[in-house]
Amino acid sequence: MKTILKRLYTWIDERVEIEGLVEYMGKKYVPVHRHSIWYYFGGVSLFLFIIQVVTGILLLLYYKSGEELAFESINFIMSKVQFGWLIRSIHSWTANLFILSAMIHMFSVYFEKAYRKPREITWITGMLMFFLLLGFGFSGYLLPWNELAFFATKVGTDIAGVVPVIGKPLLTFLRGGEEVTGATLSRFFGFHIAVLPGLFTVLLGIHLLLVQRQGMSEPLHIKQESDRKTMPFFPNFILRDLTLWLLVLNLLAILAVFFPWELGKKADPFAPAPAGIKPEWYFLYMFQTLKYIPGKLWFFDGEVLGILLFLFAGILWTMVPFWDRKSSRGEQNRIVNYLGLFAVMYIILFTIIGWLA
Amino acid sequence: MKKYISPLAAVILVALTSGGIVLAKDSCLECHTTSGDKPSALFKHDIHFQRGVTCAGCHGGNASADDMDQAMDRKAGFTGVPKGDDISKTCAGCHSSSEKMKSFGSSLPTNQWELLQTSVHAKSSLKGKEQVVQCITCHNAHGIVQVKNPSSPVYPLNVVKTCTRCHADVAMMRSYNPSLPVDQLEKYRTSVHGTRNAKGDTRTAECANCHGSHDIRTAKDIKSKVYPTNLPGTCSACHSNVAYMKPYKIPTDQYEKYAKSVHGIALLQKHDQGAPACNSCHGNHGAMPPGVESISKVCGTCHALNAELFSSSPHKKAFDDRKLPECETCHSNHEIIAATDKLLGVSPEAVCSRCHTERQNIKGYQAAKSMRSLIDSLDAGEQQDIKLVDEAEQKGMEISEAKFKLRDVRQARLQSRTMVHAFNEGKFKEVVDNGLKTSIIVAQESQSAIHEYYFRRFGLVISTLIITILAVSLYLFVRRLERNKIQQ
Repeated sequence: MKTILKRLYTWIDERVEIEGLVEYMGKKYVPVHRHSIWYYFGGVSLFLFIIQVVTGILLLLYYKSGEELAFESINFIMSKVQFGWLIRSIHSWTANLFILSAMIHMFSVYFEKAYRKPREITWITGMLMFFLLLGFGFSGYLLPWNELAFFATKVGTDIAGVVPVIGKPLLTFLRGGEEVTGATLSRFFGFHIAVLPGLFTVLLGIHLLLVQRQGMSEPLHIKQESDRKTMPFFPNFILRDLTLWLLVLNLLAILAVFFPWELGKKADPFAPAPAGIKPEWYFLYMFQTLKYIPGKLWFFDGEVLGILLFLFAGILWTMVPFWDRKSSRGEQNRIVNYLGLFAVMYIILFTIIGWLA
Repeated sequence: MKKYISPLAAVILVALTSGGIVLAKDSCLECHTTSGDKPSALFKHDIHFQRGVTCAGCHGGNASADDMDQAMDRKAGFTGVPKGDDISKTCAGCHSSSEKMKSFGSSLPTNQWELLQTSVHAKSSLKGKEQVVQCITCHNAHGIVQVKNPSSPVYPLNVVKTCTRCHADVAMMRSYNPSLPVDQLEKYRTSVHGTRNAKGDTRTAECANCHGSHDIRTAKDIKSKVYPTNLPGTCSACHSNVAYMKPYKIPTDQYEKYAKSVHGIALLQKHDQGAPACNSCHGNHGAMPPGVESISKVCGTCHALNAELFSSSPHKKAFDDRKLPECETCHSNHEIIAATDKLLGVSPEAVCSRCHTERQNIKGYQAAKSMRSLIDSLDAGEQQDIKLVDEAEQKGMEISEAKFKLRDVRQARLQSRTMVHAFNEGKFKEVVDNGLKTSIIVAQESQSAIHEYYFRRFGLVISTLIITILAVSLYLFVRRLERNKIQQ
């Protein structure tokens, strides 16, 4: 067995010269410290992305976009296609876990100040991927063309339409018209399977390349060489990553079997919106905030002000490597910590309130 | 002249309060009688005249004044001929006052005007100015007599004629309600009520008995006496009154039975206005018990398919020969209970066994037995399907297709119940077999979904086990790798 593998390796090496890469991988080390656990969420996010791609492609074999076909095709996948129910449930559950894992990864990087020089581009690409991820969630949610998805998309695009200046054209662009119709479904399908994956793959490539090139960031508190502990990236860290991936796979299987993702009722554009319509959990804190903001605040429209506030907060968050100069200098920056804590508490609190409301 | 007025008024008052025994001076009547006009001639036979009401009672003025100018002095309250709604208001001046009515020795109710305002007649108006019907429309203006007087237009034998003065007038009714039929009188005269009324029976129903008198509402009005849910109560007011119906020698338990029937429950308890009331089978204005041969036609107005199948069935001739009422023989008339499968077959509660026994009409006996067995098997199949579909659904399985097919099974069962009326075992079996085939498919799909449920759980256990073993092995491998590294 060993001889076969060695011969295969030699065969490949003769053609693509991977010896250098393997040597580089062998010399690559991952810092070991009390916060090392957070490194794994990047890998978990990558694993969940791979699952999304695979299950997404499998779903594409049977999914049919269109007002009259989408719901029926998902129903067919769930009831007639062998293991279709499993693939669809895993795709839906993974989507949610992916966003959760990416969020954890983002906050861990933020609190570890891993975005500081020279990793600004890594952070920016990560943030852009996170926004694309939300786009994936929003566009994918509509694809089954069920009642909840239909009205959630209506509400979601309505909110987008409130943005000053670009709101109205943005709404028309997203919906493919004035209302949420089959045209919206076609667009969302296109975004979900072509535009977003294309952009995401490019960003992911840059992100991973940078991580490999620059290595893992070390926390600020490790300053002396004597404090520094490491583990080989290959095979130790990779195998540990793999172990966690297997556990995540187990979790996904359990969720898919015990809590299969429901399809609900087919969307009826002429039916009244069901009571208590809510967006997906990752948009809930924003949705709940907009509900609390009064209609008029001084001279401004409350909703517009809320959206602009979130937009500003998002830009500020994305640009943190450029305004947090202290961390770049290797100094502690408490304001950044407090801001991050506030953001985490705010998101958790408003998500819970929105969930219970 | 004035000095005579007060004593005269006293005399009139005494005359009025004494119940009209002493007639008051009525100079209006005296003059008008002399001129020989019709109203004054009619007024002499008027109940009001007899009770001491003078012309001034309605027209105002001073009836005791000999001088015409004084008698008809507008300052003295002379109003002339009341117009429009003032007519009814003039009548209501006394008829809505219990004190005044008592003073004339009358015990009549005093809510007629109030009731009239709630009626369709008060609401219908062409120009939006006055009510279409005033008191005098039905009661006349001069020469009003008591209701019990046979010459009264509202005497039971005359009511029909009074109402149809307008209601049979096509041109007039078109102005108010073009969709309202104008053949009520024609139909009424063919009904049991109408023929008896024409013969002078004042106890049989005429217009007012069913529609009310002063408070007549449209049949669509929920408060109307002939509104679908109120109609059985209206009919039973007479037909359930044992003493009242005694001379007619007909049963008085129809309402009691109807209220227990599937139709009665639907109408009276569930307020299903599509359910038949008395008039649906007996007619309304032409009310009459349906004849033996027309029963299936009457029931068939709603149960069309059943009636059609029955008419082409072998039972049609057999029933006709024996003069058996068609639907009624098996389903009863007023107390029609919800038909169940128990009616079919040869068991004691089955209606087939009344004519078909093992010794008599054997062919029918065998067919009834077989048909019952078939419908029972379809019913059992459906019940089993429901259980399986429920179980699969409770397990969270996608079962919408089987659920949809289950409706076909139910549909087949309902069709077979209808097909019973063809009394043709072959046709009946065909329908039941279709249902049974679908029932088997539903059962298979449901069982397959339940099986899939257990398969998923079993698969999960196996895959979880494999993945966990793999994860633990990997972890142990990494730990060993790291231990070895440290030792090196």
